[in-house]
Amino acid sequence: MSAVLARRLLALPAVLFLASVLIFLLPRAAGVDTARAVLRSRLGEAEPDPDVLAAIRLEFGLDASLAEQYLLWLSHAVVGDLGNSFVTRTPVSGLLFPALGVSLVLTAAALVLAAVAGIPAGVWSARRPGGRLDRAVTATSVLGVATPEFVLGTVLVLVFAVVLPLLPATGWGSVAQAVLPVITLAAFPAALAAQLTRAETVDALARPHVVVARSKGIAERAVLWRHGGRLALTSVASLSGLFFGGLLGGAVVVEVVFAVPGLGGLLYDSVVGQDLPVVQSALLVIVAAAGVASIAAEGLQLALDPVSRSAAV
Amino acid sequence: MPGAPSTRRRIGLALACAALGLATACGGAEAGSGVVVPDAQLTIAMQFSPDAGYAVDTDDAFVVSQLGVSESLVASGADGIARPSLATAWTQTDPRTWRFTLRPGVRFQDGTPLNPAAVVKALTWVAGVSAPPRAVKGIGLTAVADGADAVKVSTTAPDPILPLRLSSANTAILAPAAYASNPPRIQDTGTGPMRVTATNGTQSATLARFDGYWGGRPQLAGVTANYVSDPAARALSLRAGDVDIAQELPESAALEFTESNGYVNQTVAAPRTDSLMLNQSAPPFRDVRVRQAITKAIDRTALGEQALAGSAVPASELFGPAVAWGSQEPPPAPDVEGAKALLAQAGFGPQNPLRVDLGTYANRAELPTLATAVQGMLRAVGVEATIQVADYDAKEPDLLAGRYQMYLLSRSYLLDVPDAGATLSSDYSCQGSYNINRYCSPAFDALIAPLGATSDPAARQEIFTRAAARLDADAVGVPLVHTQANGVGSKVTGYTVDPLAKTLVTAGLAKTG
Amino acid sequence: MSTLADRATPTWRSARVAVAAAVVVLVVLAVLPLDAITTDLSGRFAGPSLAHPLGTDQLGRDVLARLAAGTRLSVGFTLVALAICTGLGTLLGVLAAWAGRAAGQAFQRLIDVLVSVPAIVVGLVVVAASEGPPGLDTLLLAVVLTGWTPFARLTYQLTVRERAREYVEGAVAVGAGPLRIAFRHVLPNLLRPLTAHACLRFSNVLLSLAGLSFLGLGVQPPTPEWGAMLDEGRQYMFAAPQLVLLPAAAIVGTALLVTVLGRLVERRWNSA
Repeated sequence: MSAVLARRLLALPAVLFLASVLIFLLPRAAGVDTARAVLRSRLGEAEPDPDVLAAIRLEFGLDASLAEQYLLWLSHAVVGDLGNSFVTRTPVSGLLFPALGVSLVLTAAALVLAAVAGIPAGVWSARRPGGRLDRAVTATSVLGVATPEFVLGTVLVLVFAVVLPLLPATGWGSVAQAVLPVITLAAFPAALAAQLTRAETVDALARPHVVVARSKGIAERAVLWRHGGRLALTSVASLSGLFFGGLLGGAVVVEVVFAVPGLGGLLYDSVVGQDLPVVQSALLVIVAAAGVASIAAEGLQLALDPVSRSAAV
Repeated sequence: MPGAPSTRRRIGLALACAALGLATACGGAEAGSGVVVPDAQLTIAMQFSPDAGYAVDTDDAFVVSQLGVSESLVASGADGIARPSLATAWTQTDPRTWRFTLRPGVRFQDGTPLNPAAVVKALTWVAGVSAPPRAVKGIGLTAVADGADAVKVSTTAPDPILPLRLSSANTAILAPAAYASNPPRIQDTGTGPMRVTATNGTQSATLARFDGYWGGRPQLAGVTANYVSDPAARALSLRAGDVDIAQELPESAALEFTESNGYVNQTVAAPRTDSLMLNQSAPPFRDVRVRQAITKAIDRTALGEQALAGSAVPASELFGPAVAWGSQEPPPAPDVEGAKALLAQAGFGPQNPLRVDLGTYANRAELPTLATAVQGMLRAVGVEATIQVADYDAKEPDLLAGRYQMYLLSRSYLLDVPDAGATLSSDYSCQGSYNINRYCSPAFDALIAPLGATSDPAARQEIFTRAAARLDADAVGVPLVHTQANGVGSKVTGYTVDPLAKTLVTAGLAKTG
Repeated sequence: MSTLADRATPTWRSARVAVAAAVVVLVVLAVLPLDAITTDLSGRFAGPSLAHPLGTDQLGRDVLARLAAGTRLSVGFTLVALAICTGLGTLLGVLAAWAGRAAGQAFQRLIDVLVSVPAIVVGLVVVAASEGPPGLDTLLLAVVLTGWTPFARLTYQLTVRERAREYVEGAVAVGAGPLRIAFRHVLPNLLRPLTAHACLRFSNVLLSLAGLSFLGLGVQPPTPEWGAMLDEGRQYMFAAPQLVLLPAAAIVGTALLVTVLGRLVERRWNSA
């Protein structure tokens, strides 16, 4: 078990290095005129004067060779200097880390909400497969999986901010402002968690020793949570690694729709504005977070369910 | 964000709204007493966020200026006349040099005095940035101190409108300490009525009164600026009472905030025209008859009043009602038969329909809408336009090189200063650096040539008017609509919407009870 | 997740009729020759009528016609993208499985990372890296860049398993080349799991397309696409909420339909 994890942890820096090369090269190799985009981000209606564009390239060292630019960037990045944003001319870290903090809060809140809503729903609906509660949970979870964040977010704004002005539609900083984005982001993982939990619990309840336990008259509730819930937790844990990466993707949409100043919103703005240092750093953080999360989830899964150790390839 | 009380109020409102079944008719401030509340705190939902970190050499200078933080040597409005601000008087000492006398007794928010050295430092910095703002770009601006209370500003060529240039928000004078960092720091370095106490990225900023303001003690004790890019969200926060002023509301929402329910609701024309550019360096638009046919085919009144729901003014020519010299006339009615006849003369008809590409970009939300509506109008005269919406930056080289047919472009006709000379020469003269229409008329160039040596605003504006008429006669492009600026205040006084987007928070702005 | 479908029988049985009806509606919508382009500025935001069964949008265009055109675009694009993902993923998966242990390990790690990077983020990278405007080509690239990985992972695992079987070892012993074995013995056995997986991925791709267009990174207006329509409709949320709700319903409805359809197919196969 630890060997599997160690191998994956060791592979992570290599993966990150590979990702950094790709992330660095892609926009530059494609021939995007960054200087023009930088000029537009500063002065919306500036004419593309060749002298000005040359001055901007000089300012950011954009006329050096790609290899030189990459090595310069890498040599600074490994000591924690992510460079300056092309747009604000201030250090990227000053933009990145506050945004990362916001995204982590948003994502963690959504994960907790998803677990709190999804797991009990799944366990309860497994109690009477085919029953009314089960059907309601199944239908809701299927709907939840089929509803993307941008649809749910927009409809929630329409209902709770426009038709019934109960909650603010955008922004970040108060609890009220967090309600809609967190619900929007939590819906998909909650639905998946409910489905998984239900499936696992149904399987668990059919196992011989559980059937025996049930027949012995052990309280229904205890059986359900002891045997069903524990197994369900395992698979939810394994999925949460995926969720985390997926949530960061969903967070892009949610942060754009609700104007949350998180990593996704920052990435979106910097892509639109061709702010390459910010794009690179934000993407690297996302890849690293996704990688760490998937390893952590695997470790959690192995710890919770020894059976799957042998299955781990 | 206030907690429980405002939430409770919202729930109450929601219930009332639900009872009425009419969400949009609900909300609204109760008519107040109109008496100024002293030392109040004001919250504003701003349209543009300071994406460039409040750098005054970028468009963020407008934010800094609107918040009442920074000021320039000169002030100016849409009438195109320069007025005193940090400079009290100016004279042209020789064709290339102007002398500005500084206002005595002005202090920066950090306590240092406004003196010639500070002004020289500020102007020299902005003239030397890698991407100079339009007001000072390419004029070779240099500044030197002249005595204890004056500055001499020179340019490489005679510049008749230098005072107007120095009214740009980009030429704000910050305290010398500001320029120790790049971009310059705006905390406590301005001369305006408000000083920045905290900034929270592109989310918000808080400001407090600057007691040492030279223009008198500001009425407001403090201001919170929330940057809310979504127009609907700005309207929602105004309705909920979270903000006192909201800029640029969507038309459908702006209608509910009326004077009768206690709001100050202002809409003014902005100095910006959405125009259909026609590439006249190649067929079919080399033929003036085709250009005239396109002009006749388009119902500009319908574009402004229906397609954009009244959020824009139908344009009759390049310059609109935002400026003193702009046209106040409605555009001519469309003439479908006339357009068809002109197209027939040019060799296009049902057997040989004119097919064109109509490009535009989506950064400004109204453009795809306008393009789609124009496409429909052109179809009515037998012209098949194919719309291509694409990133402007990617398309710009093609536009400048004349590799396009028809392009819908939104452009401010004032280059940061209330004077159209620079636009006319860059966009429409034979040597213009931004002549997308590829229009070249020696007669037009001769018409605008005197602008290089005319200082008198009235004389300049007379030339602007004649130039616009000339462009109209030559059917250079089709000015479709002029955009508008709007803003709504709830129980405030001293609030006016500035079409040039330079002023908002002033010493006189106050809340009323 | 096969167990899900097995247990809740009544729900799935009753779903069958609804699914059939919905498929018919979608097909009819997709083939109807409706005019999605003509604008009518005097008839904006019109309510439902005989001429416009779902009313008109901010430019007086027929909403039903635009939704129908969106059906063709979304479903067509998704089918093309899925075909490419399946083909590419299968090919790479088979190749990796035959390429030896070290290559297989590296391949798995690569997939681990790619799988965890969301399509929206990849879409952002593609847009950042492409010179031209976003459009169907950048969308396709964005979807395919990570979309092949689940198929590759599945193929890899199944191929490794199949290869260990006796008949394949026998074929190797007889002297059959790796490609011959892959196509003759392994791929036929992969057909069913791959098809099932493609069904599962369909709604995923569909939602990526709509999501990227919603963010302005995909199909550009005035092309009628559900995600782009939803984004345009947001501006008129006060005046005409149906311009948000209708494309939202189209997106969710189609994703739901495909999910349920996929499970019905899976059930049929499992019980057969």
